[in-house]
Amino acid sequence: MDMRTVAGECLEMWRNPYPHLARLRDEGERPVAFFCSYTPEEILHAAGLTPVRLMGAVRTITHADAHLQAYCCSLARTDLDMALAGELDFLEGAVFAQTCDTMMRLSDIWRRNTSFPFHGDLVLPIRMGEEISLPFLVEEVRRFRKQVEDYLGQRIWDDALEESIHVYNRNRRLADRLYRMRREKPGVLDGLMATACLVAGFWMRREKHNELLHQIMEDAEAGEAGDTERLPLLVSGSVCATPDLYELLAELDAEVVDDDLCCGHRYFDAYVDESISPEEAIARRLWQRVNCPAKHQCLEDRAERLLRQVGDSGARGVVFFLQSFCEPHLFDIPYLRNRLQEELGVPSLVLESELQSFSRGQLRTRLQAFLETIRGV
Amino acid sequence: MSAEEHREERDKEDKERRRIKSGAAMRDLMTKYYMEAKAAEGTDRHIAWITSGGPVEPLIAFGVIPVYPENHGAMCGAAHMNVELCEVAESRGFSRDLCSYARGDIGSAITRGGPIGGLPRPTFLVCCNNICNTVFKWYEELSRFFDVPLFIFDTPFVRGDLPSHHLDYARRQMEEYISFLERITGREYDEARFVEVAAKSLYASGLWAEVLACNQHRPAPMTCFDAFILMAPIVTLRGTQEVVDFYQGLLKEMRERVEQGIGILPSEKYRLLWDNIPVWYEMRNLGRLFMELEACLVADTYTSAWTFQEVETEDPLEAMAAIYTEVYLNINLERMADKIESLARRFEVDGMVMHSNRSCKPYSLGQYDLAKEFTRRTGKPALIIEADHTDSRWYNRAEVEGRIRDFVENLLAESVTA
Ligand code: SF4
Ligand code: SF4
Repeated sequence: MDMRTVAGECLEMWRNPYPHLARLRDEGERPVAFFCSYTPEEILHAAGLTPVRLMGAVRTITHADAHLQAYCCSLARTDLDMALAGELDFLEGAVFAQTCDTMMRLSDIWRRNTSFPFHGDLVLPIRMGEEISLPFLVEEVRRFRKQVEDYLGQRIWDDALEESIHVYNRNRRLADRLYRMRREKPGVLDGLMATACLVAGFWMRREKHNELLHQIMEDAEAGEAGDTERLPLLVSGSVCATPDLYELLAELDAEVVDDDLCCGHRYFDAYVDESISPEEAIARRLWQRVNCPAKHQCLEDRAERLLRQVGDSGARGVVFFLQSFCEPHLFDIPYLRNRLQEELGVPSLVLESELQSFSRGQLRTRLQAFLETIRGV
Repeated sequence: MSAEEHREERDKEDKERRRIKSGAAMRDLMTKYYMEAKAAEGTDRHIAWITSGGPVEPLIAFGVIPVYPENHGAMCGAAHMNVELCEVAESRGFSRDLCSYARGDIGSAITRGGPIGGLPRPTFLVCCNNICNTVFKWYEELSRFFDVPLFIFDTPFVRGDLPSHHLDYARRQMEEYISFLERITGREYDEARFVEVAAKSLYASGLWAEVLACNQHRPAPMTCFDAFILMAPIVTLRGTQEVVDFYQGLLKEMRERVEQGIGILPSEKYRLLWDNIPVWYEMRNLGRLFMELEACLVADTYTSAWTFQEVETEDPLEAMAAIYTEVYLNINLERMADKIESLARRFEVDGMVMHSNRSCKPYSLGQYDLAKEFTRRTGKPALIIEADHTDSRWYNRAEVEGRIRDFVENLLAESVTA
């Protein structure tokens, strides 16, 4: 299969991963859902489970209204809705990493109202990157491993875990190459396709995804870089449940040259150290990786990092794509926007997404207006 | 005197008899505190802004003046001034969906608006996320705005029993907190002083628990609308002698009322449990409505958050660490349900009113499940009303009042059929 076909399939999956996920089980896999990029997938992977990410869906809420108020983000609401509607019965369970208040409560609500065999919780500190929280985080990773072991009724051996760490590290290296490639070889692989190829990895075993990325890379490396007149942008936010934003930007002749998304660059940032004990190494990675706004990190301020990314990528504008009601992200917006404008002269746009009332038309109009101001037309 | 005048006179006397006298003492205490805090601005005294659930004892022990934006937010809300403050923050790009305490506080920091002309400028900030994860985002913003240091006391969420590595983490941060204070104030940690403050704090919180427990009597000597007001000192100044004195006085008054059979309502037909933060800007109207319906809110999950359980340990820092980690909003739904059930049984309530508070996710998400659990465990009904604790733009008075009326009337119907 050539690159275009593979990327096309990934895009298809991004639009609606659920039919594909439902098939995993028949193929002998044991899918366990996770929501947040702070989930130590390696542990699930080493246990023979397949971590799959739930990122919401465009749908009308029917069941979740009885458990979650309307002022809660649509990721939580649509995911819970699918679970309650029995549409996620292919899952063996779900893992909740403590990030925001919504996720913290969602875990209990989910556990009480569904009957998946496995339920995992990972409690995280909010102070990341500071010596004081590391022992706590290591202990939590250890406890999480134990939770999985207790559920399976058997141990996860260190060598299996090391193997999984290796697979995931390889995936991170490949993802990083994929991201660099789209900048180095414009015209060969665009932002939409690169992101689709990355996101598709959430719904398959990592070995398989590694093969896929590898193949993409080989093809892309052979391709000729072309010129692109497209306007370079950076997208920042939580997750893009659908490719719509990227598709619209492409239609409007803009190119996403980098991102600060939880389903993008923030997902594969930092490696697990393969030379130290696996639990500590996994904890260390979570602790030092690029910060999510639901965490506090002094080592490297989120704004510094974003500014640097915008500078390095040559983006001429930033689109903040957020979930409505998402406090961690919404809090950072004024500060980030000010700094982008004042220090780099880079304008930004804030788009809020509500999956249950998603309107592509509205999104398009706002993007168009924003791009016009940048282009100065 | 006409019969009419006679009745009015009697009503007035009755009202006077029911009035909680300690309210005046509390107002004096709080006024004095705010005046002192405001006067300290610009002097060499340290002022720290701290979250309501944060460990305040070290601050008191180090002679730092603690200031609570949430208490101030409640004040702004009650004075119907928080919306305009929120709007200031919103005009700076802060979303209307963020907690209205945070928005109002940011607005007030910018404009110095509100009933007391804003809070005194902090020299540093202390934030504890045992109530929510909003607070550290909010305090990050304050730290940038005032350009002052921020200490975060991080209390990870507790599912089930408090695991030892949680306690270790909290304990290590208590030590760090102390060193942070030593550095900032240039004073040395004095354990004896800390223990004294901590003991007073626990003692005051015990007194507060006893005050609240007086409402187990019928008729209840106060409603939780009174408790919402009378809790200000335990939130802001626990650890000081004045607070101990105040709650001793209040407890005495409550006990006398109980002995004399003085209820806060002329008649008390129903006893209800309240969940979540009060609707500050509606206290008067809601108070009136419940009174008219002869329903007394005898207990709530909010004010009882400041009744700490004593923990068994010789180590004062560890004790504080444990106490502050296991607070009501930092535990899972099952443990919250236990707490609600126990309040319901102890106070013999006929039902529960839950305020689904748009601004506060940790308090509100899960309420639908808690309501069901409450009914399952106690056999009593629960009502959920929609509001926001200080942003009245989300509030629909007619709708809320209508629902409360229906709810209480249904209680009546039930008691008839029962
Ligand atoms: S989008 Fe925001 S509110 Fe929703 S789960 Fe993520 S961090 Fe929490
Ligand atoms: S989100 Fe809730 S707990 Fe947190 S500051 Fe706001 S009102 Fe308080």
